[in-house]
Amino acid sequence: MRDVWIAAAAMTRFGRRSETLEDLMADAALEALRETDRQPDALVVTAMDPEEFVGEGNFASHIGTYLGLSYVPALRVETATSSGAAALYAGFALIASGFHHNVLVVGGEKMTHVSTPRVSEIISRVIDPHERSYGATMPALAALVTRAALAKGLITETDMARVAVKNHANGARNPYAHFQRPVTLEGVMSSRLIADPLRLQHCCPISDGAAAVFLTADPTGLKLAGMGQGSDYLAVRYRSSLTGFRATQEAAKAAFKMAGFGPERVQVAEIHDAFAPFEVLALEDTGLFAPGKAAKAAQNGELTLEGRLPVNPSGGLKARGHALAATGVAQVVELVWQLTGRAVGRQVKATVGLAHSIGGMATNNWVTLLEQVA
Amino acid sequence: MTETIAASRCPDCGWVVAPPVRICPRHPVEMAPVEISGYGSVLSYTTLTATPAGFKPPLHIAVVELPGGARIFCHGKETRALKIGRRVAIEQVDGIFYFASLGIADRVSLFWKRRGAAPERTREAVKSAIKRFFSVYKNGGTTPPTENGNGTPANREESNRPSVERR
Repeated sequence: MRDVWIAAAAMTRFGRRSETLEDLMADAALEALRETDRQPDALVVTAMDPEEFVGEGNFASHIGTYLGLSYVPALRVETATSSGAAALYAGFALIASGFHHNVLVVGGEKMTHVSTPRVSEIISRVIDPHERSYGATMPALAALVTRAALAKGLITETDMARVAVKNHANGARNPYAHFQRPVTLEGVMSSRLIADPLRLQHCCPISDGAAAVFLTADPTGLKLAGMGQGSDYLAVRYRSSLTGFRATQEAAKAAFKMAGFGPERVQVAEIHDAFAPFEVLALEDTGLFAPGKAAKAAQNGELTLEGRLPVNPSGGLKARGHALAATGVAQVVELVWQLTGRAVGRQVKATVGLAHSIGGMATNNWVTLLEQVA
Repeated sequence: MTETIAASRCPDCGWVVAPPVRICPRHPVEMAPVEISGYGSVLSYTTLTATPAGFKPPLHIAVVELPGGARIFCHGKETRALKIGRRVAIEQVDGIFYFASLGIADRVSLFWKRRGAAPERTREAVKSAIKRFFSVYKNGGTTPPTENGNGTPANREESNRPSVERR
């Protein structure tokens, strides 16, 4: 298996955007192409549901042609809300296997032009049909997980609010973030209930955006050191534990095994905080913290930009935003910027970074490890 | 008056899931039909104030573990007094699972709450009400045990929050 390296990374600002999905993806892709003198010999495209959100199909060819890369073989990858990480994995595999030398990965989503109930309905299709027939939405399932975690004493309502406060504070320093303003603990804890005990300010927004990463077999100094995928039952009711995600645990194990190092080397992490309590649970599922220790670390300020292990310096899904298929790619873009000293305004000191992405209600998750070798 | 619930059992690993599915989610083996008792403990619950299309807020959802380990999603009248680990009875009205014991008035209101009334629905609701009447009669006129759910007749009436979906 060949080593895979990162040659370039770019993204658009996340948020309510007036551009088309094609233009958002082109903005990110062209910026990445400008950053390297290499030409891609394969293109991996991802959008979670362009059929429903923008009415486009045959999407790999559509974007390939739009980017002026119709002569490059293109494929589309989709694993629900972790599609961006899955696209990186496909690109990684194409290079590691020796099939291709240079691969451009581009992910995007455009949703804000669609009404919120309709967006929720489209996103809800990632849920088991039986559970969905009972009115289960993503916030509903997240609330069931959160209630169980609260009862087990893994987190408190204050811990949950603290995640949102920290991530908004980081987002306020990130010009690419959807929300660039801080929130207060009181503000989060008094925001309106969505799915008890989850409140509006525990939930990530609906965002538009795109991100691109250029992968190559040529050593660039920035190595895609490990990638792991983990899976679980689509139905939440089949799982033996509501509060630990097997998909994350398996993904982390696989990624660290491939990288040949353990969680102790990770110095910065981008975590899938679609719902604030998930950040705390993921820090334990990935092995970055021992079981029962993540909430404590958050209380001690260890996860802030100045802390021992900065988590979500971009603002995370909560503040940077969640443009579905763009998110997994954008997490890696943030890590590239952090590891190469280009995260202006929110720079941390790190040579090893971890990205964690959740697909659906943790049915298809990914952990990605980046290492600055040079 | 515990209901039985249709489920599936894996001939290889013995795992029970509800509602029935063709293939065991743990391995590619065809499952066999089995009936399980509709009485179990609450694993988690939530109340949705933002509901998807076709559901009126507040929508109460619980995950309940039944004997044999099968877990089901169910609706309920309220979650105020619910706790994780609490034992509840599961009842089916019109093919939908509900936690806690339901009175005749509750069945009627649940029936009206669902959209698109059809003759079959009416029959289901009447059948359900008759079943309830006879089970109470057989028990010597006593009301069902109140400790098995959050919604005892008393605290339901105390509720000064008549929900919109009741009419």
